[in-house]
Amino acid sequence: MKKILCFVLAAVLVLCCFASCNSDNQSSSQGGDSSSQADNSGSGSTGDGEKNENKVIMGNSTDLSGDFRWPGFGSSSAGASDQDIGRLTVGHATMAPNQGGAYVWDETVVKEHTEVEDENGNLVITIEINPGLKFSDGTEIKAENYLAYLLAFSTKIAQNAGHSAQVGQSYVGFNTFAAYMGEDVDYAALAEYRAKAAALTALQEENPDATMEDVVLEEAVAPITATKEFSGIRLLGDYKFSLTINAAGGYYPYYFANTYGAVSPYPMAQVLGEGVELKDDGNGCYLSESWYEKAADSNIEEDAATFTKTDHLTKARYDVSTYPFSGPYVIKEWDSGTKQATLGINPEYAGNFEGVKPQIKTIVYIKLTSETQLEMLKTGGTDIIGGITGGEDTKDVLDAIEASDGMLTETHYQRSGYGKIQFDCDFGPTMFQEVRQAVAYLLNRAEFCQTFTGGYGVVVDGPYSPDFDMYKAVEDEIELIAYDYSPDNAKKVLEEGGWIYNSKGEPYVEGAEGVDAVRYKKLTAEEAAATNGVNKTYSSVANDDGITYQTVEINGEYYMPLAINWFGSQPNDVTDLLTTTLSNNDAVKTTGMVIRATQGDFTNLRGNIDRNPSMGYMGVPVYGMYNLATGWPTAVYDYSYNWSLDPNYFVYSSNKLFDEYDKAYPYYDTVDAEGNPTHTKKTYEEAVAASGDKLGMDYLSMAMVYDATTTEEYNHWWMKYIERWNELMPDIPLYSNYYYDAYNSKIENFKTSPFWGTAQALVYANVANAAD
Amino acid sequence: MGKYVAKRLGYMLVVMLILSLLMYLVYAMIPFDRARAEADKFREAYKQNPQQLEQVYQNLRKDLGTDQNVITRYLGWVGVVPINGQYKGLLQGNFGYSYDYNKPAQEVLVEPMRNTIFINIFATILALGVTIPLGIFCAVHRGGKRDTFIQVLTIVGYSIPIFITAILFIWLFAVQLRWFPVSGMKTPGSDYKGMQKFLDEMKYMALPLIVMTFSSLGGMTRYVRASMTEALSMDCIRTARAKGLREKVVVYSHAWRNALIPVITLVIGWFIGIFSGSIMVENLFGLNGMGRIYINALTNKDFEVVLLLQMFYVMVGLLGNLIIDIAYGIADPRIRVNK
Repeated sequence: MKKILCFVLAAVLVLCCFASCNSDNQSSSQGGDSSSQADNSGSGSTGDGEKNENKVIMGNSTDLSGDFRWPGFGSSSAGASDQDIGRLTVGHATMAPNQGGAYVWDETVVKEHTEVEDENGNLVITIEINPGLKFSDGTEIKAENYLAYLLAFSTKIAQNAGHSAQVGQSYVGFNTFAAYMGEDVDYAALAEYRAKAAALTALQEENPDATMEDVVLEEAVAPITATKEFSGIRLLGDYKFSLTINAAGGYYPYYFANTYGAVSPYPMAQVLGEGVELKDDGNGCYLSESWYEKAADSNIEEDAATFTKTDHLTKARYDVSTYPFSGPYVIKEWDSGTKQATLGINPEYAGNFEGVKPQIKTIVYIKLTSETQLEMLKTGGTDIIGGITGGEDTKDVLDAIEASDGMLTETHYQRSGYGKIQFDCDFGPTMFQEVRQAVAYLLNRAEFCQTFTGGYGVVVDGPYSPDFDMYKAVEDEIELIAYDYSPDNAKKVLEEGGWIYNSKGEPYVEGAEGVDAVRYKKLTAEEAAATNGVNKTYSSVANDDGITYQTVEINGEYYMPLAINWFGSQPNDVTDLLTTTLSNNDAVKTTGMVIRATQGDFTNLRGNIDRNPSMGYMGVPVYGMYNLATGWPTAVYDYSYNWSLDPNYFVYSSNKLFDEYDKAYPYYDTVDAEGNPTHTKKTYEEAVAASGDKLGMDYLSMAMVYDATTTEEYNHWWMKYIERWNELMPDIPLYSNYYYDAYNSKIENFKTSPFWGTAQALVYANVANAAD
Repeated sequence: MGKYVAKRLGYMLVVMLILSLLMYLVYAMIPFDRARAEADKFREAYKQNPQQLEQVYQNLRKDLGTDQNVITRYLGWVGVVPINGQYKGLLQGNFGYSYDYNKPAQEVLVEPMRNTIFINIFATILALGVTIPLGIFCAVHRGGKRDTFIQVLTIVGYSIPIFITAILFIWLFAVQLRWFPVSGMKTPGSDYKGMQKFLDEMKYMALPLIVMTFSSLGGMTRYVRASMTEALSMDCIRTARAKGLREKVVVYSHAWRNALIPVITLVIGWFIGIFSGSIMVENLFGLNGMGRIYINALTNKDFEVVLLLQMFYVMVGLLGNLIIDIAYGIADPRIRVNK
């Protein structure tokens, strides 16, 4: 036993030492095929005569999951690294975002395109692609490769695989095509079943034991209209197709309507599997019936259709070896055990929208941890670490670069987004513009930004990035309130807003104690009744000092205290800093305001913002202030429906701000014969004049994208939107930090921007003095 | 013995059922709605049709069973009642789904489990190989300078948290001396096969292994030393020495056998522990192991993965206790489990 133990121990020790010492040997024995982490020279920049291996190791802090074919699969939850792999391996789209985030036509792909309105007011985009484009296996890319994805991911088959199946929603004919589940389906019977199921749900609210047999339909049910053809998608030849943007559905006119022409090609077998054809007999594209083949457990009659092709989509999603790629790179290896992906150049790639082809032969994506990523960079374990932000981390990176003697360098940009305070604007003190403005005046944002970002960040005054083209266009013209730190201004706006009482309805006296330490506002009947009358019982929470501020009723009038309930997520440095700089700030107290802090996890925070009882919301709104962050990955700036007065769109209303200007001058100003609200389109100047220069957030956000037809007009609407936003202050921007990408200086021409991530930048980059 | 084992297995089943219910209830109490979280991923896709988004949410509630009460959901998870008309629980071989990885939960755990077992087996063998002889050595030379030196060293190692040790070792061995890589599991972009692959993996595993071994030296060494010291003071040892037996025979054959019983609990516990990863070590060294999966699943509220993991650990723990009890009997004839 002793001998065995000694032997095993010795073997392990020898292996460890041997493995460590062997690193140098491997580097040489592989002919430089491995980048030794233990040897700095293996990955770092070399002397003039020495060649660098044409390989870049890209470190990322998010896990690769293998979801590379359709990262996120129609959802918004794709990991950043998966998206990067997707961007590098899926290419030859008809349109691509440029360095400024705007979508442009890819002339390497598109030979010709036209955009014309048809007789129904729809926009028909006809696209002819260049012949000779190829997938990585040499097969030619044709028009059908662009359309297969649009069709397949608009069907129930994709929905069953967990996709939203809304890919084609902006095109004419989507609804009837999406409803189609094969020619063998009795759509009349299905419609009846669905009607009965809906009636049963209603019936069960009164009688939980009710069954389908208890349901009696009083009216005949209209059959489901389902068509096998997708009329808005046409295959017009081997290299030509058209897409018709749906005007009736509200997708056209739309300022960014041409982005609906941005489609990517996929191998037919990847999307459709074997035995499915894509055809067009003149009425629109369709998929052959084998796409709709039912699985053994399918139960169409009870609206539980299952399809054999659903399994195909689920498998193809993670299959990185069977199908070819269209992007600048192909996946050579995906190791799910170590979470590493190795990409090699796609020899068939014809170039991106600027005709640029990749030069770096191999890109390896690896997972890094924030604690050791800088050491990885210094020792050559990775060649790039991206997205460094925050005072300490940025300083560490810059120090390391300075100390690296030229081995490391960096590129940086201002984030397209910011950390912010967000208000609920439909109840409590924060429903009043003056209170939100006062909070902005009471927070020294410049100092906050300096402290939080260590000087590597700036403060903005609205929901924009200074890198936006529209901001640059109106920069000299736009008039924004700066909200510089000023307790006097805070006091002034509060007094103008009617925050002049104490809890007895008498004038507020500065320096008072107890419940009279804060200001009160006399509410109008409408204000008191807002959001189901919650203001009548509004009170502060987390009252650690034993004082509860609450709305008081005096002679039938309601007086609300200036006590804001703030929910901050933890762990979060911003929450900690806000506690010091705002909620415990003496200026807040002397102004007659109190901010009560509650801290919890982010799910709870979201639950309260969304008012979702299953996520921790207690049924009555309590918190009027939160801290979180936002950003814009592209320059498609569209906030339509976010400020809608229609309760149906409440889910999109982060701030629950229903602008008074919109109530007086709504976007939907008339009603059609069927009672649906309609909008009379006006130019910017006409709308400003007609509203008395009082256009609300809903009007501006809708008109910006649905009424603007030219860039100049869009910019006008945008400027007005930002100005109104800045006046209403539904959020307070806190900091827009700089992001630093640090990298080995052997990499040249590597330049990132807010809209141009590492994946795009790597296509332009090269390794200096590369070995091959 | 067979009867005893069968009885213990029966108890284990009951304990597992009770624990599974308790754990399920704990996670159900956390305010989180998986159906809402999944529906929200499609918020942008349904922007122009919010009613349809609500429909998606309601369908997901039915499908995931979140429209049912917690007991029904638990029974559905076990697989004894249908959820949305289908039996799809543990009994049907459905061990849950990872919404973070979009894969069945068991598939998510395969690779990390392999990695964790791989590293833990080496770490355990290495640690036991060092600590047992060291503990015996200290006990035999108790009170001497070498014993004192080792005692100080082990108490220092025992007192330093593993993440400090890890950071210090990374700085020393990876950044300054460049003997080992800072983190990762294999050379980026390498495509090694066979022995070369194994050696490459060992190169990356070496530093975390050393850290794990170093951090576990203190406790085990002191434990073995204490156990051995007690054994060496027994009458039988004095008798053995009086008989004129060689010191090696006295120590390793007589004393060690007696010292083994308390050590067995710890040693078997260590081997059972090869299934659980070290959150700190895996995070710092970028290892795709169970510790990281566990903490990620908890952070991202991927509760079906957490539940599966915890049930697995419960099962391993219960089995481990059974093995320890049986091992006692083998090591010490005085302890027999016949009932």
